[in-house]
Amino acid sequence: MSIEVGTELEPVVQASNLTTSTMYAGASGDFNPLHYDQDFAGQVSPTGGIIAHGMFSMGLASRALTAFAGGPENVLEVSVRFTRPWPLGTTSTFGGTVTEIEDGIATVQLWGDNEDGTRILRGTGRIAV
Amino acid sequence: MALNASKVGTSYPSYTYEVSREKIREYAIALGETDPRYTSAGDDCVAPPTFAACFTVMRGSALIFADDDLGAHHKLVHGSHAFRFGNRPLRPGDEVVCTPKITDISARGANEMMTIEIECQFDDSGEHAVTSEAVIVFLGSAPTADTSEVAQ
Repeated sequence: MSIEVGTELEPVVQASNLTTSTMYAGASGDFNPLHYDQDFAGQVSPTGGIIAHGMFSMGLASRALTAFAGGPENVLEVSVRFTRPWPLGTTSTFGGTVTEIEDGIATVQLWGDNEDGTRILRGTGRIAV
Repeated sequence: MALNASKVGTSYPSYTYEVSREKIREYAIALGETDPRYTSAGDDCVAPPTFAACFTVMRGSALIFADDDLGAHHKLVHGSHAFRFGNRPLRPGDEVVCTPKITDISARGANEMMTIEIECQFDDSGEHAVTSEAVIVFLGSAPTADTSEVAQ
C-alpha cells in the first residue's frame, strides 16, 4: 500500500452498549460506574446517562491507526482529546487522514464521530512508514 | 478546594506490572481487535499499543489521588490522553516498572487541569517501554474563576 498525504484509514465502526462497556471495564480495570450504572450516571454524567469510557474510544481510534500502520511495532505515538461524551446505546466511527510524511514517519490526524454528528474524539498518531 | 500546585514535579513510588498473555487477549477482545497476534498462544504474541491503559490510567492516578496534600477530588473528567512508545510492543512475560509524576497543574476558567505522566521501563533492560500522559480536568475547583494558567 502506498501512503501519501491525504490517504485515509479504514474506519472502525463500533456500537456501545452495556456489554461493550463492562467488557472494557474488566479488560482495563476501570470500574467507574459512570460507564455501566444508570443510577450512578444519572447523578454525575454530563449527559444524565451512561457514557462509554474515553479510553475505549482512544483504543478504537488506535485500532484503526495500528491496522493502517501494519502492527503495533510501527506505532510511535497516539494522542487524543476527549471532546464530547459518547452516550451508551449509540454507534461511533473512528478514522483518520495522513497529513504529513517526513523522515519515514507519517503523521495521522485521528477522529471519532458519534452517529448524532458530534465529534467525540480528536487526535494525532505518528507511525513508522 | 484548589489543587496544591506545589505538587508539580512530584514523583510517586514506582510499581511493577507483569504483562500476561491472557490479559492481552482480554483487552484485544474488548476492543474488537482482529490482529491474530493479540490472541496468539505462540511467541509472536504482542499487545495492542493502548494495552498500556491497563496498567497506567487507574493505577497511576489512584497512587497520586491518595496524596492527602494534593487536594484531589472526585468531580473530574478525563480530558486527553497520550501514549509514546519505545522500540518494541509489549509481550507476555514483560515486566515494566512504572513511575507516576505530576508534571503540570494549571487553571482554566473555573476548572483545574492536572497532567499525570507515567514513565514505564522494561525491568530487565531499563529501556523505555511506554510513557502515558493523562490530563485530568477537575471541575469547579480553580482558586480564581476569571484567570487562565494561574497555578504553577
